[in-house]
Amino acid sequence: MAHKLLGIVGIFKDPYHLLRAAKEVQTRKFEHCDAFTPYPIHGLDKILGHKRSKVPWVTLAFGLMGCFGGLGLQIWVSAITWPLNIGGKPYLSIPAFIPITFECTVLLGGLATAAALLFFCKLPNYHTNLLDKEITNNAFALYIPAKENGFNENDVKSFMQKAGAYEIKMVE
Amino acid sequence: MEHKHYTNINQIPKPPAFTMSRGLHFIYLGLVIIGIEAFLIALRSDPDRAWHNFLLNYFYWLCLSLSGLFFVALQYVTGSMWSTPLRRVPEALIGYLPVAFVLLLILFLGKHHLYEWTHLDEVLHDPILIKKSAYLNFSFFAARNFFSFLVWGLVGFWLVKNSLKQDRNGDVKLTKLNKKISAPFLVVFGITFTVMCFDLLMSLEPHWYSTIFGIYCFAGLFYSGMAITILFVVAMKKQGALADVVNENHLHDLGKFMFAFCVFWAYIAFSQYMLIWYANLPEEIGYMIRRTEGAWTPVALALLFGKFVIPFFLLLSRDAKRNEKFLVAVAVWVLVFQWLDCYWMIFPLLGEKPVFGWQEIGIFLGFLGLFVLTVTLVLQKIPPVPMKDPRLLEGVNHHQ
Repeated sequence: MAHKLLGIVGIFKDPYHLLRAAKEVQTRKFEHCDAFTPYPIHGLDKILGHKRSKVPWVTLAFGLMGCFGGLGLQIWVSAITWPLNIGGKPYLSIPAFIPITFECTVLLGGLATAAALLFFCKLPNYHTNLLDKEITNNAFALYIPAKENGFNENDVKSFMQKAGAYEIKMVE
Repeated sequence: MEHKHYTNINQIPKPPAFTMSRGLHFIYLGLVIIGIEAFLIALRSDPDRAWHNFLLNYFYWLCLSLSGLFFVALQYVTGSMWSTPLRRVPEALIGYLPVAFVLLLILFLGKHHLYEWTHLDEVLHDPILIKKSAYLNFSFFAARNFFSFLVWGLVGFWLVKNSLKQDRNGDVKLTKLNKKISAPFLVVFGITFTVMCFDLLMSLEPHWYSTIFGIYCFAGLFYSGMAITILFVVAMKKQGALADVVNENHLHDLGKFMFAFCVFWAYIAFSQYMLIWYANLPEEIGYMIRRTEGAWTPVALALLFGKFVIPFFLLLSRDAKRNEKFLVAVAVWVLVFQWLDCYWMIFPLLGEKPVFGWQEIGIFLGFLGLFVLTVTLVLQKIPPVPMKDPRLLEGVNHHQ
């Protein structure tokens, strides 16, 4: 039964060979490649053309939302709908609201960051097969999906081999 | 931007010595003369205001100098690699300490204009001050200040001496020795600096007390210290002395420190303010009333926005901290608001309305000239990069 080719994965013994293959990716202007390494490799994301993560923007947006939401809630509750005299302070006592405002900022910002991370990483994901079990241990993998513009099976195989991949697998 | 990656310490090009043009020397010397003139004229017209200005600037520039000492000790204790290429800047900041000591002796001359507790007749009519006089008397006050200076001066001199010695012999033992000096020193520094802040600033209002006051001043010290370090590092990078060894990753880290202490300052300042505001105790609240009510409200709000809210958003993004020009602009901004913070702590004692005139500007410029002249003279004398430091290679190759 012939499956449709989804992509090609090359497995390397060390980051130098991986970087060599990644540079070939860079010259071909592939955009959806991904690398799997046991530890972070400096400069790899730049070579693969990965853009900066959007997670910080989510943190900022939800942090601000928590800040103004928390402050607004307290003002509304303690000064507008149910004014309550606490220690003879004015109903609208901003200094007393700041600690809770801060906590709301941190809480919403933190939860949103974790959620955004899972969302952008498409996690949890139970359906993708593991490319190679060694990549959590001592192997470095580069995955090139077939949907790339100008994807050519033989070309990809040959530059992976030239860069020093000890194993090249077809993902179907 | 790609950086050259060095694999051996000998590959790093020997940096040119740091030099400042003759013209700039004369300009800073001129500022010193302006400062002296302004101070002398102000002494005659309004001695209280002159001495409060002197105290403000003495404290402000001493904090900047101490930030260098603290930073160097901190980097040794944490075993930091990234800061090694630029370590000569904080080391040079320590060079201002002897000058500050002379200024301390001058400050003692104005004690009766500044400190209520030095007036014996007033102390005798004040039961609280009588009880406090075991601590708040001039000889003990002077002794505490002298002791702090002795510790700071000896440790600062020792750390820099070892660092310069390493330039000649490259001995790893000197790095380890400096680490051993630095660790206990950080504890001693915490105590001596707190005592100094209590003495110089908190005792301006001898009835008032706040246990967090030392940390409040320390937050400002580190915050403004990073700002002045950034200014000197960028100046030396432009001039060429640090051009090969410092890149935007180092600036990024200095910017992160400045950002962190922007938040830390706000946290401590609010902790102090909220407890006093909430408890509303008669012996504590006067301090905040004098500083946040009436004509001082705009100054307090300027501090809130200028020292926290605006720099917080300016420094929030990664690109801002990696952009040399932008970071320099923020550093200058931070230094201005550190001055305003000191002003806000000291000047409400002079009157219910904030005053700002030629006295404030002139005396500030005088101290500015003196500080920059001292630090640049030290920087010109010592090699601009610790070339044989075992941590230099990692530091120069600093990346994300």
